[in-house]
Amino acid sequence: MDVQRYISSGIIESYVVGLLPTQEAREVEQAIGLYPEVKAAVEACRQDMERYVQLHAITPPKGIRKRLMEVIENEDSPEGETLLPEELRDPVLEEDAPSAGFKLSIPRERIWQYALVLAVVLLIISLVMNVRYANRHKALKQQHEELISTHNKATADHQSLQSKLQHTEQELLLLKDPAFKWIRLSGNSKHAGQFATICWNPQSKEVYLLAQSLPEPAADQQYQLWAMVNGKPVDAGVFEMGPQRTALQKMKDLAAAQVFFITLEKKGGNASPTPDQLFVSGKVNG
Amino acid sequence: MESDYTYTEAELIQGLKARNQRVFGYLYDHYSPALYGVALKILNDENAAGDTLQEVFLKIWRNIDRYNEEKGRLFTWMLNITRNTAIDMLRSKAHRFEQKIQDVGDDVHLYTGHLAVYQSTDHLGLSKVLEKLNKEQRIIIDLSYYKGCTQEEISTILNIPLGTVKTRTRLAMIKLRNLLKTL
Repeated sequence: MDVQRYISSGIIESYVVGLLPTQEAREVEQAIGLYPEVKAAVEACRQDMERYVQLHAITPPKGIRKRLMEVIENEDSPEGETLLPEELRDPVLEEDAPSAGFKLSIPRERIWQYALVLAVVLLIISLVMNVRYANRHKALKQQHEELISTHNKATADHQSLQSKLQHTEQELLLLKDPAFKWIRLSGNSKHAGQFATICWNPQSKEVYLLAQSLPEPAADQQYQLWAMVNGKPVDAGVFEMGPQRTALQKMKDLAAAQVFFITLEKKGGNASPTPDQLFVSGKVNG
Repeated sequence: MESDYTYTEAELIQGLKARNQRVFGYLYDHYSPALYGVALKILNDENAAGDTLQEVFLKIWRNIDRYNEEKGRLFTWMLNITRNTAIDMLRSKAHRFEQKIQDVGDDVHLYTGHLAVYQSTDHLGLSKVLEKLNKEQRIIIDLSYYKGCTQEEISTILNIPLGTVKTRTRLAMIKLRNLLKTL
């Protein structure tokens, strides 16, 4: 290395005033160790700089010396330790080089750690709430469905009661109407004890039948009502048994009749009555 | 000065390593004005400079075992601690590059008109030196040494190529040396 040229390049002065980046400063320090001329040049330059610095010397405020002496007198006690700047407390962690910005990195990481923990906690709470609300939703849905079916059943019951009521009211009107004649049909010999009732209005020609105590027929058979009009049997229609037995059933209209009788015929009825199938009969009064 | 005995540098180092508080007091009495001047020049703030000075002397006291005689004299080591501590504080106070330049502008007024504000121990010598240095030389020395500016920053401020910063620095220091000889 051309030491003279190195010395006159300005690198020595730049090193002393602190202009050099870390890498170049390290190279100068190596050169100081290797070349006495470089070492002497650096030392001469430092002394110039230090004389210049001395020109700026100013007496510091009085209190500082007193405070410093107190700190170093008490540095071996825990109280004295607290008077030291944080970085100088035991264990000694002194840092000569400027180090601005280094201290901030750890707390910033901590913030993210805290944020992550918080997010996970919130997620767990949210999941628990979701499951709880889903269960509750299921239970409510079931309750809702039960209520709908109960409501439908109640509506159906109401409708059936309504129609029953209408029917009963109609029957009540017939009972109150003086124009209706009531004819009791009763059985003889083998059908003794069986009876039915006819309700007939000769003016409006309406005929109603109350089947009452007739026995249930076979599935392919049906009872048929007949009227004797001037010695001839006239069909007044077939009627239902089962649940309908206790209700008034409307039959075919008749303008005149002297006798009503009921025979058991094939399903749908016959054109003329089968004589040995006569069950009950009754005369119209007056 | 509380003591009339003069310590050599070797005695100072030995005394500090032996935790001698009288030696520490002597060190403070002899070097605190120079170190406080550096801190004040860097920070431009008496309170911050006072805090820095206190921290610097505690670092010297606690870290004397790290001082390496082969790397330089004790005063050079103390000056470097002072500069680094004060520049750290300057940066922690969020001073920006522009602020550094602003400070230099303020300094120019201080040099010319208000030297009495800083009770310099040798303000006559200082003003003589500063008068003779030109603006470029003063900026190179002061901004690099006192504000921690980089070569790139000096090159930007002076509007000179990066490659010539070192040679201009050398010229400035040679001029300073010659001026100091005349004092």
